[in-house]
Amino acid sequence: MPSSDHLFSSKDVPSSLMRQTLLDRELVRPATDRPVIRLLPWLHVVTIGGRSIMDRGRDAILPLVEELRAAFAKHRMLIATGPGIRARHVFGVALDLGMPTGVLASLASTEAEQNGHIIAALLAEDGVSYLPHTSVSHQLAVHLSASPAAVSNGFPPYELFEFPPPVGKIPPHRTDTGAFLIADAYGAARTIYVKDVDGVYTRDPATAADGDGEFLSRVGAAELLAMDLPSLPIDRLVLDLMANAKHQEEIQIVNGLTRGNVTKALRGEHVGTIIYKDS
Amino acid sequence: MADQEDAGALQSLLMSRSLTDAELLEASDTAPDYAILPDANVVKIGGQSLIDRGRAAIYPIVEELVRAKDEHQLMIGTGAGTRARHLYALAADLGLPTGVLTDIGSAVAGQNAQMLGHLMARHGVPVVGGAGFGALALYLSECGAVVFPGMPPYDMWQHVPSEGVIPPYRTDSGCWVVAEVYGARSMIFVKDEDGLYTANPKTDPDAKLIESITVDELIAMDLPDLVIERPLLELMRHARYATTIQVINGLKPGLITRALAGEHVGTMITAA
Repeated sequence: MPSSDHLFSSKDVPSSLMRQTLLDRELVRPATDRPVIRLLPWLHVVTIGGRSIMDRGRDAILPLVEELRAAFAKHRMLIATGPGIRARHVFGVALDLGMPTGVLASLASTEAEQNGHIIAALLAEDGVSYLPHTSVSHQLAVHLSASPAAVSNGFPPYELFEFPPPVGKIPPHRTDTGAFLIADAYGAARTIYVKDVDGVYTRDPATAADGDGEFLSRVGAAELLAMDLPSLPIDRLVLDLMANAKHQEEIQIVNGLTRGNVTKALRGEHVGTIIYKDS
Repeated sequence: MADQEDAGALQSLLMSRSLTDAELLEASDTAPDYAILPDANVVKIGGQSLIDRGRAAIYPIVEELVRAKDEHQLMIGTGAGTRARHLYALAADLGLPTGVLTDIGSAVAGQNAQMLGHLMARHGVPVVGGAGFGALALYLSECGAVVFPGMPPYDMWQHVPSEGVIPPYRTDSGCWVVAEVYGARSMIFVKDEDGLYTANPKTDPDAKLIESITVDELIAMDLPDLVIERPLLELMRHARYATTIQVINGLKPGLITRALAGEHVGTMITAA
């Protein structure tokens, strides 16, 4: 009889991570400390808000679609859509039925996908298609070689595997987070969030009674989290994740209701709030 | 009725507030909990710790699982193991991002699920994944068990770790989240050690077994090495169902059966 140790080693594939738990920091670090390459360094990730843009209908969507179309000549982009009001409704029904966070995430993701199909349909004549998650992760390069843009579901494919959140049951990985994670994984040039506000205010301009509060044109992610504002135009989880990002040193929130903003942001101009990695 | 008032308040917050609004999140916490598969047990079979050992380790485990499924509904998740480590080492050295490592690593858990599925096929046990989860309830009621690949489907959207590129949420987290979302009865991690030790017992002779510990205590200990994925401890803090996990030794016959019966035969980790 071979000893169990012998048996074990005979079934191992030699590698620098062999026989480790992958949890010992000292052993894993030297094997994994190479700088990460940018897979698609020319990629622009443009997120279209659900509540902020899609739910406003044609008055908000058609000018934005025109602007994106005009930008196709210069930029290749992945357009990620949010789910908007229908996600709120389905959350309400599902919560009332006692469903867990993972089910809520699956349901809301479907709504973000439908908004993606709408944007893709409007841009179809330019060669733009809606791509499911598996195509975004495996065939984005060929799609963007054949076409200036592709549309995807802003929600990441967490669905039933969504994390239970610290408080309550609302899925924490939503459109803003999904777009940020895919942008960083591809090493995208820019991540732009198209919303219905000019950027981050110290008070929510939609609800503040005494003026708009101070506009933050440039702010650090950790600094913004520490301010603990009651309401933000971007999901807080994005600000958390920026700390570990390999490539996304900054993101920009722009007002998509103001003509020309998206075009300028794609060119790298500062027209909204830029949030940068500061930790 | 207070319940109806709560529900009404929640609906109005959902329609009017940001999804990061503190009041909305608190209100969503008051929604009722409905466990989807309260009789199911999630049993994770380790990749490197068990499946890579081949028949010597796996045949007895398969026999034990087949006997156990007559009494308990089993959702059997698989780990990845040594081939995933080879892929991670190769891809990390090429400078590839965490998302790519997650994607290629999940294939290995899939291979392991495929092999375990073939071994259990004559007992009617199917392999499920992706959309197949929709038929989980039918499989469990008809044959008592399913096999699924333990890697969560985060792919290119995986969180990036604070250093390096190894995917932080792998098969331990994937299996645990399955237990949590379905409201399963228990979550058992089957590995090749008696449980959690103060150090890696394979390399450190002074390592001591910890029989019971809370998640907070374990995080505070900040052990340099750990038998389960570290970020899973943070997830457990927010659990509604899978608040206790047990880590047991699958090389010792009978422990899976006893753990399914609720006995404490390894390390119990509890979200305090």
